[in-house]
Amino acid sequence: MVKFIQEQLKNAGANISIDEASLVAQAKAGNVDSMERLILKYQQRIYNTILKICGNADDAAELTQDTFVRVMQSLKKFRAQSSFYTWMFRIAVNLTLNFRKRNAKVSFQSLQGEPDESLKLQLKDFLIDKSSPQPSELAATNELHNLVINALEKLDIDQRTVVVLRDIEQMNYAEIAETLGIEIGTVKSRIARGRKNLREILEAAIQ
Amino acid sequence: MKDIEYIEEMLNSYIDGELDERKSNEIKRLIDHDKEVFGLYDSLKRYKSLMDTVSQTPCPEGLHENITKQLERQILLADTDSYSHKAGRRHLIVRRLMTAAAIVVLGGILSLVVMDIFVPKSSRDKLMSNTMGKKVIKQVLYEKPFPDEAPQDKKVVQKKHYSLPLVAVLTLQTDKPIEVDWLVAKALNTTGLFNQTSAIDRQKGSVRYVLKCSRNSLVNLLGELSFVWPQCNNAKLDIGAEQAGEYVTVDNITAEQTMDICKADDFSVRLRMAKDLAVINRIVAENSERLYLADSFDYEKLIAQKPSLASTEKIPDANQPPDSSPTVAITIIVISK
Repeated sequence: MVKFIQEQLKNAGANISIDEASLVAQAKAGNVDSMERLILKYQQRIYNTILKICGNADDAAELTQDTFVRVMQSLKKFRAQSSFYTWMFRIAVNLTLNFRKRNAKVSFQSLQGEPDESLKLQLKDFLIDKSSPQPSELAATNELHNLVINALEKLDIDQRTVVVLRDIEQMNYAEIAETLGIEIGTVKSRIARGRKNLREILEAAIQ
Repeated sequence: MKDIEYIEEMLNSYIDGELDERKSNEIKRLIDHDKEVFGLYDSLKRYKSLMDTVSQTPCPEGLHENITKQLERQILLADTDSYSHKAGRRHLIVRRLMTAAAIVVLGGILSLVVMDIFVPKSSRDKLMSNTMGKKVIKQVLYEKPFPDEAPQDKKVVQKKHYSLPLVAVLTLQTDKPIEVDWLVAKALNTTGLFNQTSAIDRQKGSVRYVLKCSRNSLVNLLGELSFVWPQCNNAKLDIGAEQAGEYVTVDNITAEQTMDICKADDFSVRLRMAKDLAVINRIVAENSERLYLADSFDYEKLIAQKPSLASTEKIPDANQPPDSSPTVAITIIVISK
């Protein structure tokens, strides 16, 4: 069975791993265990991506739940012509963007107030003065994490989505284009503008 | 400006490893030789390093269970397919319609109860008659002495006329039998009935004339015989019909009374008139002082007026001359006193 799926995938030229392909095939056939394994495999990443786009933990949890339900409902329509991973992320991002459009007034949960002074100095040394050569010298504290997330909040939704998918989810440009259904050129320009704006936001926050 | 944006895009792509080898070498050379580009590259790299420090947020507890439960529910619903099935949808629609109907009925009952409690009965009746066009029957709390509508007139049924022949015996009692006999014979001659007499029985002290004629002839005869009455002490008319088995005697009868009875064309009318006159004449005879009553008696006033019929059926008119068919069998007897 696995060999058959492997051959099918080879013929289709799809970018999908063997394990994942077999899991998807079994889930498609109604295997609940396979469904659960797929959920366990992707729930963390899906949840984090959604959280960073929508900015609210409760909404992110609900949207993650809806994403997996939608994925399992639509699994029969999945023809493995694209990656299961990008297909699933496309569903998640579309649900999140639609949610944001419907609830445009919903603001991000403010994770914290003003950043700590020492953190500000460290970041200033790192980003502006460039006196500290290695970023590893920055302690990966919650404060730093929240500072970056708060800066992300202030980005335009399209730029934020692209930046999240690239810098946090580590998708390549092709995957981002496929997930969002846009051209690679658009992805490039959005990434460049998004990063620039984010850098400016961060610099303004630590000044 | 456009060049800077392009270089920024290229630098970002270079950092992300999205450039092919040729472009990558070009950018690398540019970074090495241009301090400004290098500064931009360094900033982007530091930014990227900073983003790498952003940790993954752990999933909220129970997320997996919630997803599994929701999926199981979806699978169960898909198995039962009750929501998407036509029958299920129809069942839901029927239930909703029934609920709506029940609500409407309950509302109607409630409004009726409220109306019964708060609205006076007269207003309710008026409202009912106005809105529903229904005739309200007034409730009568006492027994009516008379019905609302006058009873319809009973249909007047015309009595059956018996076209039985007139059978009569006129007995004239007199002190002057010869004169009276002569007058009767003269009357018969005058009216042309003498030849129609079937028998003339002359015996000692009495003469009997038996004849059959039409009622017209009889009326003419009685008109002529009116001169006989003053010569008589008493006149008696026995009238009846042998077929009906009835026989009435009118004593002390006058010429007019005899004429009235003979003019009546109906058997039952004749008998009733005869009976009435028999009683009246007896009373008059017993009370001689009231003799004037008999003299001036107008029988027409005594008889109740006949009801008129609405239908086209004709009632024989008593004033009309009777037909000339021989329906009279009369015997005139002259007796000496």
